Amino acid sequence: MGLRSFIHQLTAPKSSDSVPNGSFKLVLVINHDLKMGKGKIAAQSGHASVSATLKMGANEPNLLDAWLKSGQKKVCLKTTQDELLELEKHAIALGIQTVRVNDAGKTQIPSGSLTVIAFGPAQDEELEQLTGHLKLL
Amino acid sequence: MLSDHDGPSMALVVRKDLKLSPGKLAVQCSHAAVSCSLQAKKSEARILERWTNGGARKICLAVKDEESLRILMEQAKSAGIITNLVKDAGHTEIPPGTITVLGIGPAPRRIIDLLVGELKPY
Repeated sequence: MGLRSFIHQLTAPKSSDSVPNGSFKLVLVINHDLKMGKGKIAAQSGHASVSATLKMGANEPNLLDAWLKSGQKKVCLKTTQDELLELEKHAIALGIQTVRVNDAGKTQIPSGSLTVIAFGPAQDEELEQLTGHLKLL
Repeated sequence: MLSDHDGPSMALVVRKDLKLSPGKLAVQCSHAAVSCSLQAKKSEARILERWTNGGARKICLAVKDEESLRILMEQAKSAGIITNLVKDAGHTEIPPGTITVLGIGPAPRRIIDLLVGELKPY
């Protein structure tokens, strides 16, 4: 081994260090105060998921990779707008990525309504603590 | 000059015959949207950027069965558009391997409209 590659081996970041263990999911929490149709909810969840994916790809590609490799698991839950905003605060305090979706309001609901917040991707247990009490949609 | 009408769009086409619950539907559509976006990131970075900057327009539409979904996928593929067929892992509600949703795009809106303009919103 040359000196340069030896030094590189000592100083290069070890990729395994930053890959967290365990299983991961993305939790989509719907604002149930709004009366949205099924298709609308699906499209809004799609927005949230794509934004969460691209944001995590830019900030924590290793975590994104771990989530994608484990089958990009997603869960869809519902709650009131008030609780949704509370959960967002908790998540930020816990260091879990959040993405808000505000609707452009072209159909069904007023423009700017908060429709969905995506939590994660993050470890199952962390998200369980945060959203484990919520009901499935 | 590009009008609003030309901004890229994505269609999420769902099988109506499965009668998915709202939550299941949302998750399956999200799978399709994420997979299409990641594909676009690799092969169509510019269109992905235009699409996300333009509000990442998505529409959720219905077809009657799996065959309609497959026909639509072939049409989209021959038009050179990104497609992603979602197969459910089958942990809940439906048997494993069931095909649930087809994601199409992001692609120019007029092409998406040509492909799915006849379909009804889900």
